[in-house]
Amino acid sequence: MEKINKNVEVLVKEIRAAYGNSGDLNTRVIKAGDINIGVFFMESSSATANISDFIMKGINFITSKESAFDDLYNALKNSIFNSQVITTKDFSQFPYFISSGFTIIVVDGNDEAIVMETRAALDRGVTESTSEPVVRGPKDSFTESHAKNLGLIRKRIKDSNLWFEEVKVGRRTQTRVSIAYINNVADKKNIKQIKDILNKIDVDGILDGGNLREYFLEEESFFPQILSTERPDLACQSLLNGKIVILVENSPFVLILPNVFMDFMHTTEDQYQKPWNISFTRVLKVLALVITLFTPAIYIAITTFDQTVVPDKLLISLAVQREGVPFPTFFEIILLMAIFEILRESDIRLPSTMGASMSIVGALVLGQAAVDAGIVSPIAVIVVAITSICSLIFNDPDFMNGIRAWRFIFILAATFFGLIGVVAAGLVWIIKMASLNTLGVPFLAPFSPLVLSGQKDAIARFPLPKIFKRPEYLKQKNRFKQGGKHEK
Amino acid sequence: MKNKIILLFICLFLLCGCNNYRELNDLAIITGIAIDKADNGYEMSFLIANSPKAQTSSKEGEAKTTVYSGTGQSLTEAAKAIATESPKQLYFGHVNVVVISEDIAKDGFFKVADWLIRNTEMRKQFYLMQAKDEKAGNILKIVSPLESFPSQSIATLIKSNRDTQSLSIDTNYTTFVSRALETGYDPVLPSISIEGKVKKGSSEKNLETTEPETYLKLSDIALFQKDKFVGYIDERGGQAINIFNNEVNELRFDFEYNDNLMGFSSANMKTKMNIKDINTIELKVSGSGHILEVDGEIDLTNTKIVKEIENALETHMKKQLNQTIEKLQNKFKSDVLGIGRQMFIKYPNKWEKIKDEWNNKYFPKLDITIQTDLTIDGSGSLNNSIEEVQS
Repeated sequence: MEKINKNVEVLVKEIRAAYGNSGDLNTRVIKAGDINIGVFFMESSSATANISDFIMKGINFITSKESAFDDLYNALKNSIFNSQVITTKDFSQFPYFISSGFTIIVVDGNDEAIVMETRAALDRGVTESTSEPVVRGPKDSFTESHAKNLGLIRKRIKDSNLWFEEVKVGRRTQTRVSIAYINNVADKKNIKQIKDILNKIDVDGILDGGNLREYFLEEESFFPQILSTERPDLACQSLLNGKIVILVENSPFVLILPNVFMDFMHTTEDQYQKPWNISFTRVLKVLALVITLFTPAIYIAITTFDQTVVPDKLLISLAVQREGVPFPTFFEIILLMAIFEILRESDIRLPSTMGASMSIVGALVLGQAAVDAGIVSPIAVIVVAITSICSLIFNDPDFMNGIRAWRFIFILAATFFGLIGVVAAGLVWIIKMASLNTLGVPFLAPFSPLVLSGQKDAIARFPLPKIFKRPEYLKQKNRFKQGGKHEK
Repeated sequence: MKNKIILLFICLFLLCGCNNYRELNDLAIITGIAIDKADNGYEMSFLIANSPKAQTSSKEGEAKTTVYSGTGQSLTEAAKAIATESPKQLYFGHVNVVVISEDIAKDGFFKVADWLIRNTEMRKQFYLMQAKDEKAGNILKIVSPLESFPSQSIATLIKSNRDTQSLSIDTNYTTFVSRALETGYDPVLPSISIEGKVKKGSSEKNLETTEPETYLKLSDIALFQKDKFVGYIDERGGQAINIFNNEVNELRFDFEYNDNLMGFSSANMKTKMNIKDINTIELKVSGSGHILEVDGEIDLTNTKIVKEIENALETHMKKQLNQTIEKLQNKFKSDVLGIGRQMFIKYPNKWEKIKDEWNNKYFPKLDITIQTDLTIDGSGSLNNSIEEVQS
C-alpha cells in the first residue's frame, strides 16, 4: 500500500508521471479558496457528461457555501450525487480506478480519496446469439460488459442464494472474474478449489475466458472439459443444476464447469421442445458422432485390408470406382479431409461477403472437378462429405476439433492395421475418455459410472415433470429440483 | 521412460510394414469358380467381376465380366496358370458360386473340396452346383439380361426358384459337405444347363435382344451317394425331396380331379418320419393350401366336393412321392432323406452292422409307406370357377 500524497499539486504530477502524460488523462484542479480540489478521470473510459453534470456542478455548489469549508472532504463525499462512492487510502489503486472510468476526488490535506463511479458504456447492447442460434427459446446473449452479463443471470434467478464471488486476475489487465453459483446447491469445495486456482494465476493479462480456461482443470486431452457459452439461459440451467459459471470481464463467453461428455452433445433448446422428439434428435446426434469419428477409418480399413466384410455388389462398385485413381486410398482420404478443414477454416476467417465465391470454389471446383479429372474417386468424396456434415452438428468448436483429432488417429490406425487397428484405437479413445474428470466428476457420467437417475436427461430426455433430481454425479448438496425436500 | 514409450509407439508403425495391405484396384475380384476335368488334371475358370469395362458398361451394354481359364495337374497349378494371365492379384474373398462339371462329380467331389476349404480367404457359404451337359466353365460365361453379373444371376436363379417354387435345392458348400460327411445322409446339388449356343451367350449382343438367344436354365437335381454323383432326378423329384426334407417355402403343382385340371399351392408342407423298425418307415406328409386354378365347372362352395378334391389331391401327391421314393430306392440308391441318420439315432448298435451296405443293400429294400393329409383352406380370390358362375 502506497500512501496518498496530501498535496494535490504533487499528486497531480505523480499521476501524470505514472501515465506518461497520456492525452486522455484529465487532471483537473479546482481552487476553493486556499484549498485545492483535484478531480482525476480518464476521458476515454468515463462518461464525461455525467462528470460535468454531477461532479463538477456538485463541487461548485458545495464550495460556494461557507459552512462546507469546515470539513470540505466529508462535505464532498456526502453531497455529490452518485450511486457508488468508495474511499481509498491506497495510491496504488489509482490506476485501476482511473482506467476503469471512475472519477477520483482528492482534497488538500487529506490522505484519503473519494472514488465515484462514472464508467462509460463502452459496449454493444444485448444482441442475438450468433454462435449458438436457437429456433425456440430466449434469443439474448452475453456481451462484453461484465455488469450486463451479471445482470442477465441475476434477472433470471432471483434467489438471493445466487452468489457472485469476484477475483481480479492479470497483473496489468486486472480483469474482473466472477464465480457464479447457487450457494445452497453448488459444492463449496469446488468453489474453493476454483478460487485457489484463480488466485494463483500470475500473468500479464487475461483477455477472454479462453485465456483463463487453460490455467485450470483441463487435463491433456483433445476433448474440452469446460463448456463455454454465450447464452444466459444455458448458464442459468447449469447454475440450477449445481454447476459453477465463471464470467470474465470483457468476454461474451462464460465458462461452465464441471461438465460431462453428454453436455457437449446437448443444446439449450433441448429443454424447450417436446421431450420425445428431442430424444430422437439426440439419438441422431450420437449416430452422427459415431459416423464422423469412424467413417473414413472404416472406409480405409475395408478397402485396403478387410475386403471380405463388404457385400459383393458394394465391393465391386467400390473397386470399379477406384479404377484409375493414382493415389493410395488413405492418401486420397487425408487429402480430401485436409481440403475440407482448410475450407472450413477459411470460411470462418473470410468476410461474409466473400463466402459465396468460396463455396463455389470449394464445392464445384474441388469436389466435382477432382472426381472428373480422376484424381479422387467419387466414393472418397462421399465419405469425406458425410464425415464433415456429421461433424457440423455439434456447435462447440473445441468439441468439433476434438472429434477431428481422434478421427485422424483412427485413420492412421486403419492405414497401418486395418479394422483391428480401428477397434484398438476406438478402445484407446474410450479408455481415454473414461479416465478424464473435472472437479471429481467423471467425464463419461452418467454412463460410466452408470448413474440411473442421470439417464433421464442423457440420450433420452424425459418430460421435465418427471425429472425430480439434479444430475447426481455433480455431487451437489441439494438433490431435488422439484418434489422431495426443498431446502430454502 | 516416457521417451522409451514414444519410441516403442513409433516402432509399432514403422515395423508392422502393412503386411496384408492391398489396394482395391489392384485386386481381381473373383465371384465365380468353375472346375472341369482336363486331360492331365483340372481346368479352372475364374469369373472376375471388376473388369474396368464395368465402369462404362452400364451405358453401353457391354459384358462387364471377364473369365480366365487355366489348366494344371492340380487345382493349385491351375490357379497358378490363371494368376499368370491376370494382371491383377487374384482375390477369393467374394466367391459366390462354384460350378463343378459332371466328371468331377462322378469322381467324387471331395477331391476338389480340399482346395476350396483350405483357402483361408474364401467364404464357405458359396452356392455349389453342377453343370449339366455342358462344360462348367461355359456356365460362367453366359450373361443374363436381368442380372448384371453372371455369378449373381446363377445365385438368384437358384434362390428365387427355391423360394417360390421349391424346385431347386439351394445347397451351399457347407451344407453339402456336412451332409456328405454325415452318416446315413446323401446330399443333392442343383444343376444348371445352357439353352442355346455358348458363343452367342457370352457376348454382349445377347443382352441387346428382347428374347435372349442363350440363357441359363435351372435343370434337374443331381443326386449323390456320399460325394459321388449317381444321376439326375426331374423337377417333380426335386419338389418331393424338398417336401421330405421339410425345406418347402412355397410349392405349386397341378393335379387331376374328375378329368379337370386343378392348380394347387401350399406354403406349409411338412413331413414327419416315423421309424417303425429297422425295415419299415412311415412318412406322414401334411399341409394345407389354396386352389390356384380351376378348369371346368366345379362348385367350390360345396364342402362335399371340396372333400372329394382333397382326396384327389392326396392320391396325386401320394403317387408323386411314391414315384420319387421308388426311383431313389431302386434306381439311384441315394438316401437323400436322411433315413439312415434317423436309423443311427434310433438303433445305433444295429446301424453299426448295416451302415457299410446301407446304400446298396438295406436302403433299397426298405419298406416305405407314405400317408398324406392335405386340406384345402382357400380358393383364392374367386369362390367358384368362372364357368360355374356363368351358368
